[in-house]
Amino acid sequence: MSRTNSAERTTIDGAEPSTTDAAGWPSDDAGSPSPSRFPRTPASPAIHAVGLSKHFGGTIAVNSLSMTVERGEVFGFLGPNGAGKTTVVKLLLGLARPTGGEALVLGAPLGDRETRRQIGYLPELFRFQALLTAREVLRLHCRLLALPKDAWEDEARSALETVGLLARGDDRVGTFSKGMQQRLGLGVALLGNPTLVVLDEPTSALDPVGRHDVREIIRGLRERGSTVFLNTHLLEEAEHVCDRVAVIDKGTAVATGSLDELLGRGSRVRLKVGGLGEPGWRTLGRFGRCQAGDGWVVVEGLEPSRIPDLVDALVALGGRVEAVIPEQQSLEARFLELLSER
Amino acid sequence: MNPTLTIAALTIKEAVRRRLLLAFVAITVVIAGLSAWGFDRLSNTHSLTSGESHLAVPDALILFMFMFSFVLALSASAIASPSISAEIESGVLMTVVTRPIRRMEVLLGKWLGLAALLAGYAAAVCALEFGVVRWVSGFLPPSPVLASVYLFAEGALLLTLSLFLSTLMPAIAAGVIAVAVFGAGWLAGVVGTLGTSLDIAGLRTVGHVGRLLLPTDGLWHAAIYYLQPPSVVSEQLAGGGRANPFYAQAAPSSLYLLWVACWFLIVLIAAVASFERREL
Repeated sequence: MSRTNSAERTTIDGAEPSTTDAAGWPSDDAGSPSPSRFPRTPASPAIHAVGLSKHFGGTIAVNSLSMTVERGEVFGFLGPNGAGKTTVVKLLLGLARPTGGEALVLGAPLGDRETRRQIGYLPELFRFQALLTAREVLRLHCRLLALPKDAWEDEARSALETVGLLARGDDRVGTFSKGMQQRLGLGVALLGNPTLVVLDEPTSALDPVGRHDVREIIRGLRERGSTVFLNTHLLEEAEHVCDRVAVIDKGTAVATGSLDELLGRGSRVRLKVGGLGEPGWRTLGRFGRCQAGDGWVVVEGLEPSRIPDLVDALVALGGRVEAVIPEQQSLEARFLELLSER
Repeated sequence: MNPTLTIAALTIKEAVRRRLLLAFVAITVVIAGLSAWGFDRLSNTHSLTSGESHLAVPDALILFMFMFSFVLALSASAIASPSISAEIESGVLMTVVTRPIRRMEVLLGKWLGLAALLAGYAAAVCALEFGVVRWVSGFLPPSPVLASVYLFAEGALLLTLSLFLSTLMPAIAAGVIAVAVFGAGWLAGVVGTLGTSLDIAGLRTVGHVGRLLLPTDGLWHAAIYYLQPPSVVSEQLAGGGRANPFYAQAAPSSLYLLWVACWFLIVLIAAVASFERREL
């Protein structure tokens, strides 16, 4: 786990600011080469933000946020309500203008028009043209994506099937429940096989079955190599599908890393050992910080790969190892801990 | 299909499904039916001489078209005011503008779609009403096509203003402001007419400035000019004109029409710039 500190956040590695138009937005020209020192290549990260900030008057929504989302990973963006998660999403998609810092999405400046062709987006506030049918909404987005006309039907059908709306494809969106509209939004985000899929609270209106389906869809996206940026406050959701997460609070990342790194998974083991003498205790001390109580010993700071070595050493010293329980902190506990540290 | 045309087609499709056109057609048919009765009474009444009747019918038609110009302008404002702001508030635009489409294309597509609806409505109403009047009384305005074009242009102008306001503020505020400005523009035109009639320079200036700032009244008077029989114009000119907001002395000058074209362009550019800057 890497803790983001202010020094890291303000370091921009000499990157030049992106080209902007008179209104302060990125240049809208298709395929414009990034003037940044960050190269626009297939190998560039899916998202790379350095010192990204957004102030609304005196209110700081995003405060010098730095993060990197690698291609092909499912990245969870976690935080409590009002932490600035949706604002970050809007900045990344060019819906809002940053007041500071720089970010590249798929190697291109924020809001780059051509890059948007490779991005699928399910907004937190998902609403579609109520008077169109679900299939018509999908066709509209195929058209806006400039997909070949002969692919529209297949794309629409595939999206409807994936999100479980095939039977309602010819019904008007206005007749859909909130959950069905969210499913349709997910289908819209999947059109055109996007390289990056940004999902902002994708299960907020879904029942448990729907949440399960969304997880399966996210796993499917990962399998086909898409990057998923999952903005959520549902920790269980992140725990199920994310490769890495960032925890954001008050507009800044307080921790970033894989779930293992974030939770310290395997770094703590609980042992029930009998017959240990002084040498045994000294040996335990070599593996990590030890605490004893109620007949149990807790060793902290131990890599999972070293647990067998620990057991071997204890047995060699005449100890009777009755139980070995690797322990992990829940994401919720870690999340609350991170927030309380601030 | 070009993204602008895609948005225009979407705008028209939504309007049709909203039964907006159906409502317009129903209202128009009812009004045209009532006007047919009115024009018939006016043409065939025994209390008027045939000469008076020949003058009364064009005047009544101008009055009718004045009412229609209001309906057209208010309809334009009603459909354009929510077109951007309401879709931002509801979130519908979020997934559209994150596609590879320029915001300018979204805005121009909406303008084009709404203007096409307005043009269709204006053409249908004018054709129906002129046809009814011709059928009942035998009178046909000297330039029905030009009169229709100016009536449409008046509505399109308010549509453009409403669309611009819609990029800045909520739908209800945009609609109220657009209608208030339209009313003020008409009033400025009346004041200007009074100024001309009574030879008061200050009032005349109000009329001129009003027609430059918001050319709706100027376009309305252009429509009037093409609705009046030439004999009425000659008669009025011979009589030195009168303080009548339903009379136009001359066709709009080329310079004025150039200004109207510039006005459309300036407001559309302002709308595009405002929408481009708007954070969603």
